[in-house]
Amino acid sequence: MAGTELEILKGITLEIKSGESVAIVGASGSGKSTLLGLLAGLDEASAGSVVIHDTNITDLDEDGRALFRSQHIGFVFQSFQLLPALTALENVMLPLELAGKAGAEAAASDYLERVGLGQRLHHYPKQMSGGEQQRVAIARAFAAQPDILFADEPTGNLDTTTGRTIVDLLFELNRQAGTTLVLVTHDLSLAQRCQRCVQLESGALLSEASAG
Amino acid sequence: MITATKMLARDWRGGELGILIMALVLAVGVVSGISAFTARLQSALEQESHRFLGADLVVRWSRALPGQWLDAAAQRQLNRAQVLTFPTMVIADAGGMSLASVKAVSTGYPLRGELTYSQEPFGEALTAQSGPAVGEVWLDSRLFPLLDVSIGDAVTIGEARFTVTAAARTEPDQASSFMGYGPRLLMNFADIAATGVVQPGSRVEYRQLYAGDATALTAFNSWLQPQLIEGQSILTIDEGQPGIGEALSRAESFLLLAGSLAVVLAGVAVALAARRFSERHTDYVAIMKSLGATSAAISRLYGGSLLLLGLIATAGGCFLGWLIQAAFFAVFADQLPVQPGPAGLRPYAVGAVTSLVCLLCFAWPPLRRLSRCSPLRVLRRDTPEETTRTLIDTLIGFAAVTLLMLWYSQDAVLTLAVLSGLLLTGALGMVIAVALLRTGRAVGMSAGSIWRLALAGLQRRGTANALQVVIFGMAIMLLLMLVLVRTSLISQWQMQLPVDAPNHFMINIAPEDAAAVEQTLRDNALPSEPLFPMIRGRVMSINGVALPTTDDPAQDRRQREWNFTWSDELPTENTVSAGQWWEAGSAAAEVSLEEEYAQRLGVDVGDQLGLLIGSEPLEVTVTSIRQLQWQSLRPNFYLIFPPKVLEPYPATFMTSFHLDKSNKVFLNELIRSFPTLTVIEMDIVIEQIRSIVSQVSAAVELVLVVILAAGALVLVAGVRASVDSRMYESAILRALGAPRRLILGSLLIEFATLGLFAGLLATMAAELSVFVLQTQAMEMAYVPTPWVWPLGIAAGMLIIGGLGVFSCREVVSAPPVEVLREL
Repeated sequence: MAGTELEILKGITLEIKSGESVAIVGASGSGKSTLLGLLAGLDEASAGSVVIHDTNITDLDEDGRALFRSQHIGFVFQSFQLLPALTALENVMLPLELAGKAGAEAAASDYLERVGLGQRLHHYPKQMSGGEQQRVAIARAFAAQPDILFADEPTGNLDTTTGRTIVDLLFELNRQAGTTLVLVTHDLSLAQRCQRCVQLESGALLSEASAG
Repeated sequence: MITATKMLARDWRGGELGILIMALVLAVGVVSGISAFTARLQSALEQESHRFLGADLVVRWSRALPGQWLDAAAQRQLNRAQVLTFPTMVIADAGGMSLASVKAVSTGYPLRGELTYSQEPFGEALTAQSGPAVGEVWLDSRLFPLLDVSIGDAVTIGEARFTVTAAARTEPDQASSFMGYGPRLLMNFADIAATGVVQPGSRVEYRQLYAGDATALTAFNSWLQPQLIEGQSILTIDEGQPGIGEALSRAESFLLLAGSLAVVLAGVAVALAARRFSERHTDYVAIMKSLGATSAAISRLYGGSLLLLGLIATAGGCFLGWLIQAAFFAVFADQLPVQPGPAGLRPYAVGAVTSLVCLLCFAWPPLRRLSRCSPLRVLRRDTPEETTRTLIDTLIGFAAVTLLMLWYSQDAVLTLAVLSGLLLTGALGMVIAVALLRTGRAVGMSAGSIWRLALAGLQRRGTANALQVVIFGMAIMLLLMLVLVRTSLISQWQMQLPVDAPNHFMINIAPEDAAAVEQTLRDNALPSEPLFPMIRGRVMSINGVALPTTDDPAQDRRQREWNFTWSDELPTENTVSAGQWWEAGSAAAEVSLEEEYAQRLGVDVGDQLGLLIGSEPLEVTVTSIRQLQWQSLRPNFYLIFPPKVLEPYPATFMTSFHLDKSNKVFLNELIRSFPTLTVIEMDIVIEQIRSIVSQVSAAVELVLVVILAAGALVLVAGVRASVDSRMYESAILRALGAPRRLILGSLLIEFATLGLFAGLLATMAAELSVFVLQTQAMEMAYVPTPWVWPLGIAAGMLIIGGLGVFSCREVVSAPPVEVLREL
């Protein structure tokens, strides 16, 4: 309603340890994506703070957060978010180039090899299936060797079988790299593969359960 | 780091750059094409106009001009010729004699244009390579009966005898060199000395003619200027033939107007394409930002891309411009009787600057906003895009258009007229769009589904539609303005030269012959003007102060001889601009002056003029100032008096009449019956004016085609901006079972309705602009044009309806599944 302030997240206190994997679950509209946006520094909170590696990213301006993201954060999105004008290889190279890292091309093709797309380096997103596009996205996320990986409903646009393969790949790479993983999902079976699971309801943190 | 080159290369492969680069290339192409085309046409017309001087540069004096000027011109590789004109008596062996206006020409004359002759009097005109050889003369056809000679006979001028070898027909510069009124006799410049008739103090005019390379000519001109002494003057086309100078400058105004309209259209097309490019790139920027790109990096990236794009587009655009003008000249070569001149590099420099301005002022503002887009879009697509046009952006665009138009036309009034038309269209467009939004909902609910869909479409894209009404309105307005201005230009020219316009002057009609001459004209059914009396008189003083005495023809304020006439009625095509015309039968000592002559003399209503007619002084008061049409080819007079004032003085009469080309032999009979009268053939000059007018009309039509193409480009770019959302809506509708027919029908109604509003707006704005243009810039009378209203509205509906549906036909052709999956 116009003129009324809408409080989306209420009094959330959440600590995630380095190397931990955490699932954030909740129904549609519970505030999962908003929380993810704040944690990853994509959005600005009206109150409160987000501290990553002793850096209070809520104190940083938009460009400061962007630089921080390029050094520490990776993403996997529900809708893949590949640039349609770039080939698979170029999409994976992009964050490496933005972070100014050397050997972008070699690293990118190495990661595409690891997600099973070594033969499709020069294909465009349009020429790939949904599962293949998400593999490219996963390769892009890990290629920059981020400290924290945020995954937003990574299987939301995929069928069950493909979704399972993608999740396997995601967790396998995460294990190899020792990356902190924050995963937003409404799929409880996916949430259970994380070490911790927090549940959001109407913007409030309900419960926290340790998973296997 | 990702570079601009890489991004451009990738975007190019991905097909994203196509629209923007095409718009830019077309913008530069249209601008440099029109510019090159008009430049070449202008230089051609200028060359054509030089035909009326017989050269590129002419110096004249009443005494022999320095010979070293010819040597200096020779050193600069210029072609040269000399001309001397003077009146003298020609005597035939059989005893016939007549006053003739002799023109002695050197070898090489004319340097520009054609000299024609015929092998018998009034015979078929042939082009001559040069004038008469030494010892030969060519006589005006009228002289043959007057002298009673034939080809091969001998005539005497002063102390020398010559053989008549041809009939002189036309000289390119005859319009600019009336000297005395005797019929023409052409002879060789080398024969002058032998005749012994040219003595110091003789009434003669010497001319030196130069032609050649433009650069050498300019250098020669600036070398020559400071050496001119009083009385020596350089002839320009305006002095040579005022009617043609005016026609050319009007044509130039028109072509410049067309050029600046192309700039406006190009700017709008670039802005639309850049906006669409930026909208389509918003998501990419969000992804790049989420991956860590800073705003500065994004700005650098897109700024660099734009610069690179500008370079490519400028190169491509200049090439396209060259092709456009070459194609025009190729297609219309037959219609252009003149050879197009060189265009030079300027049109391409103009294209490059235009490209730079378009990029900075139209393309950069929407792209600059990209760097401010939120990375949150990767999570939530509904994050508001920052695409609202800020006031500053609009002001930047407007300032750019204004400056470009000023730069092009170098004419503040012209720019003001066009811009005020554009502003009015814009303001009205916004008002109408708001009204549309308010009423659309109510109308849509009560209409059938196809109409409901169409009106809902109009209402939904409210702001976009307001913008499109404005843009479409502008494009149609520009087209209408061109049609209106062009039509009025041509019709005014034709009105000035009706088919039966007088094309011959008859002077020196003796009073006792006046009635018989009028009867002869009537008997031969020749349309003629009334007979005007002509009395030679001198203007000596103003308000008792004597005018300077000098023979300098450039000096108007001097004691000199004029033709006076009398009339009780204001002659046709004269209007009184100050004072009052006298009552019929007035015997007061008053005079009516032509406006420009009065200005040059510095005389106003109420001033006293001291005159001398024969040896009798006469004091008159100026009681009225008249404006008149010099191009009308009717007898025109600087000074007109009441009949009772001049009647006591001896007068001859003059008139003008129309004679068909096929009827020329009539002149033989006329001159035999009235040997004292002189006929001046103006039909040749009229033919020359007609040829210029027809070339200019052809040019105007060509420019119209170019503007039409630019207008269509803007329309398509405007429609393309909404294709994405239309695709999505159509896919949903078709998924729900709507037939293609329904969607196509609603699209047609939507665009035709837009066209209706745009056409209405455009017509109003065009009418206003044309009013300002005609009354302020082109010095014509404003004529309302009711026929343009239905035309403008119908054109709006047809063009926008057709082009709109055509430009988004993929909306119904792409499979819905594919569209929905892509989103």
